[in-house]
Amino acid sequence: MSLNVIETSDLTKIYSSSFGKRKVEALTNLDLNVSGGMIFGLLGPNGAGKTTLIKLLLGITFPTSGSAKILNKNIGNYNVKDKVGYLPENHKYPPYLSGGDVLQLFGKLSGMDGTELEKKIDEMLQLVQLSKWKKTKVKNYSKGMMQRLGLAQAMINDPDLIFLDEPTDGVDPIGRKEIRDILIELKNKGKTIFLNSHLLSEVEMITDRVGILNKGKLLREGTVKELTEKKEEYKIAIEGDTVYTLPADFVLKINLKKMDKDYYSFKVDNTLELNNALDVLRNNGIIIKEMTQQKNTLEEMFISLIKEAEKENVQ
Amino acid sequence: MKNIWILTWFTLKEAMARKVFIFFFIISLLAILITGLVFALSSNINVIAGGFKNMPFNNPVTMIEMMIVSPLSSLCLLLAIFASASFVPVMLEKGNIDLLLSKPVSRDQLLWGKFFGGILVVLLNIAFLVLGVWLIISIKFSNWNFSFLNIILSVTFTFAVLYSLMILFGVLTKSSTAGMMVAYFVFIILSPLLFAAKDKFYGMIESGFVKALIDIFYYIIPKTSELLGNITTDIISGKSIENYQPILTSFAFLLLTMGISISIFRKKDF
Repeated sequence: MSLNVIETSDLTKIYSSSFGKRKVEALTNLDLNVSGGMIFGLLGPNGAGKTTLIKLLLGITFPTSGSAKILNKNIGNYNVKDKVGYLPENHKYPPYLSGGDVLQLFGKLSGMDGTELEKKIDEMLQLVQLSKWKKTKVKNYSKGMMQRLGLAQAMINDPDLIFLDEPTDGVDPIGRKEIRDILIELKNKGKTIFLNSHLLSEVEMITDRVGILNKGKLLREGTVKELTEKKEEYKIAIEGDTVYTLPADFVLKINLKKMDKDYYSFKVDNTLELNNALDVLRNNGIIIKEMTQQKNTLEEMFISLIKEAEKENVQ
Repeated sequence: MKNIWILTWFTLKEAMARKVFIFFFIISLLAILITGLVFALSSNINVIAGGFKNMPFNNPVTMIEMMIVSPLSSLCLLLAIFASASFVPVMLEKGNIDLLLSKPVSRDQLLWGKFFGGILVVLLNIAFLVLGVWLIISIKFSNWNFSFLNIILSVTFTFAVLYSLMILFGVLTKSSTAGMMVAYFVFIILSPLLFAAKDKFYGMIESGFVKALIDIFYYIIPKTSELLGNITTDIISGKSIENYQPILTSFAFLLLTMGISISIFRKKDF
């Protein structure tokens, strides 16, 4: 599946307080397309509008203006949700139900029934390793178990599109790894996963594309590689300590800096300058052993982007 | 329709888990035991019925049943309001409603599911209490008045009308207390007051404005007093219902209140 499974156009949500005195713009003119068969990560600080976006797409909250489609159907059509799964942040299951009952309720509401549902319940509980807790009331579940049950609930109807809001919240590192593995397996089956998370390292590990949201605006969107590449900053390893042969004005121009042992970093403005710099290096007898484009971690990129946006807002 | 049934069924499960049935069962059992004890201690039916000489019934058993109707139906309704107050507010709690709305279920279906679920819970519990009392009376006096069982329907209907109001307040405030207080206010204060004003004092009032005001409120507010009073008495004693107006206007109130609730719920952000 490569068509867009999520499409938003000028999607805006403004929350009004009582009597409409105070207005909060949770989402502003959002244009976002997410193709099928990928894991899309939406990042943003608290209050950025991440959960609002999911709620709008699922018809839990209504847009102030703009439009959106999921699975090629307008979000106003509730029937589209029979192929959608959702794990909300801070989900709450009726405490009197057992894990099996929870899956039965939400499976039935998704249109499943009979032996097909029973089979799927067992399959899902096994997948999230809760089989032996099937008949235990959810009020006795730990936070991690609740998250795993939530994941099973989100997958019970074999959805094509799954929204996960902080799915690893409260889960221990081993559990997180298991959840990541499940998500990758789902992606390999052609499902689309829309992931909201604060855990940037985790998002970096599994997502194909990432969107950065701040104060309701989409600041950047792209693959993890695209977003973490430091534009035109390179790292080179050279043989011997021969940089002293380079002209001082050249060293200054490309901001050549020693990093570690044989490694140096330098910056250029464009590809032409890069080639010129390499020519100068070679002409001065520098033997280049290795060259790579410098990268940020997602976290570094995220923090610098948010700080930049904050600065712009202040100005 | 299937979704409404699923939600109705899970509301029943919720009531069981919240020990609504046990609570109802214990209170009902107490009521049944007290009724049984009173009749066991009074060997002569005419002794019991003799205390109610003013009642217009020839059959002493019917007389006894009449004397039980009011406290029994009031008890049923008080318990029913209390037991069902939290159904809608709990559904609307954050984390719970998000999940329900993420499924292919319309908002109308969610509300109707809770409505019918609440009614089913109350119907089952009232049926237990009324059947118990009826069995004791019938066995004791070997007089099987099946019309007595109609209390089940009249109380359930009265409850349904008040429950629609509780749902409206549940949707508006997400609070079970608000809905419960409004329902008790209508049942205990407003409806009897308006009925008395219309039935007893209307002729004595001279002001046309006050009369119009009474009329407006009387026809708008559900007539729980008459539903559990004259109408239930008529049904139990096997008479035909003299005046259908309280039933029809109360039913219209139910439909209107549910309509408003659904309309608000359809547009509500969660």
